[in-house]
Order: sequence, then structure tokens, then C-alpha cells
Amino acid sequence: MFKKILIANRGEIAVRVLRACQEMGVKTVAVYSEVDRHALHVRYADEAHLIGPPPAAESYLVIDKIIEIAKKSKAEAIHPGYGFLAENPRFADRCEKEKIKLIGPSAHAMRTMGSKTVARRTVQAAGVPIVPGTIDPIAEEEEVFRIAKEIGFPVMLKATAGGGGKGMRLVREEGELRSSLRMAKSEAKSAFSDDSVYIEKYIEQPRHVEIQILGDRHGNFVHLCERECSIQRRHQKVIEESPSVIITPEIRAAMGKVAIEAARAAKYEGAGTCEFLVDKDRNFYFLEMNTRLQVEHPITEMVTGVDLVKEQLRVAAGEKLSIRQEDVRQTGHAIECRVYAEDPDRNFFPCPGLITSLRTPGGPGVRDDSGVFEGFEIPIYYDPIISKLVVWGKNRTEAIARMKRALNEYVITGVKTTIPFHIRVMSNRHFIEGNFDTNFIDKVFFKEEEERRLEHDDVAVIAAAIQVFLEERKRAMAQKPAGTTGPESMWKYSTRPGMRKIG
Amino acid sequence: MNYIGTIGEKEVKVTVLEVGIARYKVTIEGKDHLVDAHQVQDSVWSILYGSTSFEADVQKRDDEYEVLIAGDCHKFSLMNEQRKALMRSAGKGAAGKAMVASPMPGKVVKLLVEVGEEVKTDQGVIVVEAMKMENELKSAVTGKVKEIFVKEGEVVESGAKLLLVE
Repeated sequence: MFKKILIANRGEIAVRVLRACQEMGVKTVAVYSEVDRHALHVRYADEAHLIGPPPAAESYLVIDKIIEIAKKSKAEAIHPGYGFLAENPRFADRCEKEKIKLIGPSAHAMRTMGSKTVARRTVQAAGVPIVPGTIDPIAEEEEVFRIAKEIGFPVMLKATAGGGGKGMRLVREEGELRSSLRMAKSEAKSAFSDDSVYIEKYIEQPRHVEIQILGDRHGNFVHLCERECSIQRRHQKVIEESPSVIITPEIRAAMGKVAIEAARAAKYEGAGTCEFLVDKDRNFYFLEMNTRLQVEHPITEMVTGVDLVKEQLRVAAGEKLSIRQEDVRQTGHAIECRVYAEDPDRNFFPCPGLITSLRTPGGPGVRDDSGVFEGFEIPIYYDPIISKLVVWGKNRTEAIARMKRALNEYVITGVKTTIPFHIRVMSNRHFIEGNFDTNFIDKVFFKEEEERRLEHDDVAVIAAAIQVFLEERKRAMAQKPAGTTGPESMWKYSTRPGMRKIG
Repeated sequence: MNYIGTIGEKEVKVTVLEVGIARYKVTIEGKDHLVDAHQVQDSVWSILYGSTSFEADVQKRDDEYEVLIAGDCHKFSLMNEQRKALMRSAGKGAAGKAMVASPMPGKVVKLLVEVGEEVKTDQGVIVVEAMKMENELKSAVTGKVKEIFVKEGEVVESGAKLLLVE
């Protein structure tokens, strides 16, 4: 095992990695930017080094500086966390060259899985199902008809140069194909001055389900079951759970098998995640592989009992995985809610600022992976994640009830957070029934919320009225000449029960 | 004290009377509510309504309130009677003039308009970046850009005046 490693990250994930290191007796080196001097990762680490000004491009993303500190501090390995340099093959190359072990896959595996087309080709060769269609543009109209019929309607026409929904057309049946193709092409032409389109099977009511895998350099692979990540806003995951209500033991085993095949094809080492789309008939299609620790990894840890960060360290140090596939058990149910410094009532507007007070939830089955504390100022320069609240319950019903309970205990003041949003989702009928897909938050949830009548608006007005009443009185007292307030207020309160002292 | 609350379109009359230590009688539209209220943690109040326990996080900007109770955000305005009357008389003639302010601390990435330029309601006028996200701020009114208070690249605080449309 390593004696000392450097953690090239900040916030909750740096804290998460530090915790594993401390429990394993591995010394830690933190790096920090000028705004992060007070941050937890600096204080929890054995040593910490300043790497530059606040913008990530001048600090957490500067490969030279991080390598220099790793060498100076004699760190044998670097854990990149997620984000920043975690999936940067140039950083992986540099670590290989400098003989510092990067805790993650090789630069080769990163490159293979980093390019969507290469990943698709690699996994397809390994027999992994992908969304049927073409990747290359189709020139002839007859060709479009032929392929559409081959993969079956509905299909999606997509501009090769596309993005942001432009040049995209959903075609439900053959009769619509000709006119849709014309529209997609003209839209693509005007938006990207390139009218080439390709065709893909349209996945109805798609759910995003991913499989956690672990691999070592001795050729051992395990999968640690699935995570259901369909609760997304603007294509970003906000709530994850394991297991997924739609995954049967048979599908789980099949998905696990193809995820391991994909990883094996890329000669993968360490922790990785294969993302899949699952359609309404529970067919699954490979989307992409993430070559790093995922934000939502704690739910897997809660249901399998495997510490993913410790396994990452073990395999990076050349050891074998500590578990075999037959040892993997998925027990109970775990849910994660990502708490962001954002205003859910204003379209998730970022709200950086000072955390003026904090009360974290506790009690049975609750885990709070946080990077903040009371008095911490959330900087404007980085991801607005505050913490990940994770709960475990013996089944999904208990997990939802527990999450709601924990969210109600969670108080963060000074900044707006997504806690109220999560409370609402935990109370939503469709969520409770497990009936949702990746469009749920944007298309269903907010519509239902708009129509909902709020309870206890009288209590809200009462609280505000008392606050303004007391503020006005305080202001009036302050304006009175000195010496006149004391005796008067003493007399006023002297006969009231429960009074100890005034002033 | 007497206050006027505005919830949506509706105006309500609110009266607060202190009836003991941390005990209040709050009357809303003629209905009395007896509560025991303590500010327990920063902006968070513990309220015993009768014996029913509530926690309310009271956020305030000027006279606008956002009160969070069990995941529900209640938005309304509240001010005392005299102030409301004053606002009413002063409010006339102010229509058509609007300050664009930064809703969060961040960096001015781009100015989309110049002084003197005509803008329409909901037209984007400035882009402010915070936490890797660019946010386009819009003009609330139709008019002319009267003054711009910031430069591109400038770091601004929450609530900072960015530009004035008149």
C-alpha cells in the first residue's frame, strides 16, 4: 500500500478520499487555491500546499503545479476525485511519465472510453448492445428509409454537427419520414451550415441506469450492481438510488456481464461506471463509460458494504480486489440527494455565499458526505455542490421515509439550497410509485408543483410578522435617548414568569 | 403593530401583539393566532402554534419574504401600514424604470447592450457567471438603457446594481 498520496481535488470528494486514506493509515497531501485556505480538505489532510489563484484553470487544473507538489511532498500516487483532471488523458500520460501512480485507469483506457465513437466501436466489438443506428452521416434518402425500417420506428434524426436540440426530429412512422428528413436537414443547414444527419432508434420513456464496476491489473473484475439515475434536471443527475425498481435479477446479471465485458475490452483498472439507457420494455443500451469515481458512488457503498475508494487505492497499489463477484450482495435500499447551493424556486440559479448556520441530519441510516461547515463561504469559482445526503433503509419505502426525515432535519442558512426541492420529490406520488423516466423533473414534476396549494401559509406570515415586529421595536429602542430604556423595560418585564435577566 | 401582507394578488391585514415573553397574538384578516416563537438558529424560527411545532426559515430582502416550512417556500411581501401608504403615493410614476441587479455574487462576463440602447421587456442585457454557469439577466421593462454601473470582467456582490433601464 502507498505511504502517502496527493488528492488533486477539493470539496466533498476530497474529504471523502481523505477519510478513506486516514482509515487505511495512508498519509495525505492536499492542494488548495487561494479561496480554499479554510476548506475542510486543507484541515483534514496531513499536509497542504497552495497551488494558485481561485480560478480552476490557474489552480486545480494546472498539471505542472500538481506534479511538482507530488514530487516535492514525495507522494507516490494521485487521486483525482471527479471533475477537474479526473478524465484528462494528458494528466494520466504525465503521471505515467513522472512515475507517479494515478489512482484510476490508464491513459489508454481513458482515451478509448473518452471518445464516444471509439467507445461505441470497442464495446460493440465486445458484444455490448448500443442504441441502434448510424454514427456516420447518411447521404442518400433511400438509405435513410432503409436504415429506419431496419432499426424500427420510432427513430430520431439528428444533425451530425448538432447540439441543443437543433436539427433533431422524432419520427414515429414511415409516412412522416420524408417531411421530417427535409425539416431536420434545413434546420441543420441554417443552424450549423451542415445539413448532414444520422439516424438513431428513439428510446421511449428512457431511464438512466448505470453499473458500477471494479477491476484490477490481475484480470479480476466485479460489478457492484446498478444505480438508478433518472431523476435529472437539465440532463444532470440530482437524485440517485440503488437498486432500481425496474431492474430484475436477470437484467441486473445481464447488465453486469456486459459492463464487465466493456471494461475488459478497454483493459480497465480501478473503479468505473457503464451508463445505460433502459427503454420501457426494459431493453438496455450502452451509453458511455465514466473512467472515474462517480459523484453518486455512496449509494453503491451503502447497499454492498464495499468501500469504493479503498478498493481504488488497493488496485492502484497493485493488489488484488478484496471481493469476488459471488461475494457481492445488494442489501436494502439507498438513496442519495445532491444538495447544491442553488435556488430551486428560480430555475436552480446558483447561490454561492456564506453558510451562516448549519444543522446536519443524523440518526439511523444517514450519511452526509459534505465539504462545508458553519462559517464556510462557498466560492463562486467551482461546482455549487454542498453535500450529498445519503440514506439506507431496509427497503425503498423506509429509505424514502428516512430521506424525507433527514432532509427535514437538514438546516442550511445564508444560502439557498436544493433541500426543499428534494423534500418535494420525496413526497411526489410518481416518485414514490417508482414511475418516472429521465424527463420526469422537467416535464412532470414542476407542472404538478405549480398546481399544488401550499400548506401552512398562515404560519409563514406569522413568523415573518413577528420578525418584522421585533426588528421595528429594536430600531425604536435604539433611537431612544440612553438611560431611559433600562428601568422602564425592567419594570415592564419584572412580573412576568420565566424571566431571569434583562439587558 | 399593523401590517399589510401581499400574497399573490391578495392583500391581508396583519396585527402583532406581544402577550408574554416570546408569546404573540397575531391577527390575520380578523383571525387570531396564539403562538410561542423563538429565533433559534440564524434565520430559523421555532414556532409552537398551540402545541403544534413548526420550524420556519425566514428570508427577507427589503419587504419581500420567502419563508421555508417543511420544504415549502412561501413568498409574500409584508410591511407596516405607514410604510405601505408611503410606498403607494411614491410608487406612482415609477413604472417603466427598473434596475437590473445581480441575484448572486459572480463575474460580469458580457454586456449585451450599450447606454442609450432601446431594450424590450425580457430582453437579455447582461451575462453574469457564477459557479461555472453563465446566467443571462433580463430587463423587467421596455425602455432605454440609462446607465451601466459595471464593466466586463468585474466581480460583483449579490444585489449589486448592474444597469438601469428607464
